[in-house]
Amino acid sequence: MAVYNDFFGPYGGRYVAELLRGPLDELEAAFKEAMDDDGFLKELNRFGKEYIGRPTPLLYAEKASKAVGGADIYIKLEGLANTGAHKINNAAGQALLAKRMGKSRIIAETGAGQHGVATAAVCARLGLECRVYMGSEDIKRQRPNVFLMEMFGAEVFPVESGSKTLKDAVNEALRDWASSSADTHYLIGSALGPSPYPDMVREFQSVIGKEVKAEQEKRKLQVRAMVACVGGGSNAIGFFEPFIHSGTPRLIGAEAGGTGPEEGCHAARMTGEGRTGVIQGYKSRFLFDGDGQVLHTHSISAGLDYPGIGPQLAHLGDTGRIEFTSVRDDEALEALRFFASNEGIIFALESAHAGAAGLKIAEQYKPGEAVIINMSGRGDKDIFITAKALQRDKWFDFLNEETKNG
Amino acid sequence: MADGNIVMTHLVAGYPNLEESRLAALAMVAGGASYLEVQFPFSDPIADGPLIQGACTDALNEGFSTDKGFEFLASLTAETDVPVFLMTYGNLLMAPGVENFVERAAESGVAGLIIPDLPYDYDEGLYEAGKKAGIPVVPVVIPGIDEERLNAVLGMTPPFIYTAVRKGITGARTTIGEDTVAFLDKLSRSGAKVLAGFGIREKEQVDLLAPHVHGTVVGSALVEIIGRCAEEKRACSGEVKAFVESLI
Repeated sequence: MAVYNDFFGPYGGRYVAELLRGPLDELEAAFKEAMDDDGFLKELNRFGKEYIGRPTPLLYAEKASKAVGGADIYIKLEGLANTGAHKINNAAGQALLAKRMGKSRIIAETGAGQHGVATAAVCARLGLECRVYMGSEDIKRQRPNVFLMEMFGAEVFPVESGSKTLKDAVNEALRDWASSSADTHYLIGSALGPSPYPDMVREFQSVIGKEVKAEQEKRKLQVRAMVACVGGGSNAIGFFEPFIHSGTPRLIGAEAGGTGPEEGCHAARMTGEGRTGVIQGYKSRFLFDGDGQVLHTHSISAGLDYPGIGPQLAHLGDTGRIEFTSVRDDEALEALRFFASNEGIIFALESAHAGAAGLKIAEQYKPGEAVIINMSGRGDKDIFITAKALQRDKWFDFLNEETKNG
Repeated sequence: MADGNIVMTHLVAGYPNLEESRLAALAMVAGGASYLEVQFPFSDPIADGPLIQGACTDALNEGFSTDKGFEFLASLTAETDVPVFLMTYGNLLMAPGVENFVERAAESGVAGLIIPDLPYDYDEGLYEAGKKAGIPVVPVVIPGIDEERLNAVLGMTPPFIYTAVRKGITGARTTIGEDTVAFLDKLSRSGAKVLAGFGIREKEQVDLLAPHVHGTVVGSALVEIIGRCAEEKRACSGEVKAFVESLI
């Protein structure tokens, strides 16, 4: 395979208790071997075409571009992938790898639920047993995705510890894996966690960037900037991957600015008060207090409120290759409305952060120059949040009626 | 040292509050504990089960801080001759700086440090800092550990080694098999004092392990007793002391 890192500058590593060391060593060996095997890569490619629906389109957002009056805005529509988000790329890669390793059971953690849905779907397709850990707070926020996971036959396990969100779901999944690794693969959903996960997830997600690069060359686009939202950062690192080692274009990561810069109101690790720490098995930038206790975070998007960031993104932020910006909840909602009314596209709330940042960046360039926004997922799952935020009264009337009729 | 079994008892500092945890620690000593393992609560204790995570969350909600933790340790080590080991997670050391944290641990009189997510090859300078401050760092190993890694750990000639007697997290009951016993004997032959724990909650288990290790670690069972007392708003010293006595 192309690159194997362990550390990205000062970040990364395998900071785990000894009991997780064996499973990680086994996974690393299997991953390296698979990525060197043409048979595995062909199988992955076929799965991508036939089941995921790759390649996803790169849409010229003509009306949006004219409204902004700056660069030509393009949108990579990962939301058109099966199950509605980029998460399926990694879920498919890891599940095929797990099957190759002889594992019969998959565990996963999920925040917004897209990773859980993708994992559950792939497990259904491949005949693997599946349990998804999900914070009970996130279950409340993302009921439609819980419903889908259960339709696919997965067991959704509510996590009641800590803040009852994604990071607590990660803790539970790690605990499960510590005693079940003989027959179980832990399918981490973002480019973080102990090595080899950051490398592995980036490789499986790099299909996004490779397709963008091919389209760029085919259409001879003068790409000035690429923008992606960053929770853990799997869509961002996959989207950026083929461009990281060249000096251009500008790569921009949009973090959750939440409701403001006060502690607990956002998840801005790179643009806020993030500091170097060791949490959940890897070293990166995290939001924690002076004693090292992880801080509560907030975002309107359940997928962006994770207190850490993938180690490679943290390093690329430090070196300046990736610029980070933060986008508040209300700005993301505004971008969601803008693209819906101008392009007929509903961004996932996570991706709407990239949409908002992309609109600002596009203003800095002129027609003929391109800015590409990664719509990492589409917004079907967020309807209970966005409808409440944008059409409160009508939505409540509808829900009341449904309840009465139910 | 005790006449009977050598037992290291575990408690979460500040759970249910600092005073109650101090009384629990003293009750453990009165019951015959040979070592105390004091855990500084962390928001994301991934090597622990739900019971200890819950205790950590409660202690943090109750206002536990690293400063208060070191004050707690200093008063405890002044009050008892039983060696006190500090167990916690890496990020509590990273936040103030590993060296700084280890120095403070030394000043508070602890006999050793147990940091499961800073293994020897990803230790952030912990082992060196421990050497400098004169506090042993206690490596944590498990049965089935890769031979090369075990040799690397033993090569550091640690005075103590902590080992889980099964894979998994803390809390569940453990059955001790022949393979485990063979592993413990191998560790003991290295000359390190072997402390074995994870799921030990009965005298029968302690008796079984005793010939093969230096001491046995009992954690979740005690956290459970302390939690039950707190919930029922009653003093727990008597019950904690009696439970520790029952193991020895």
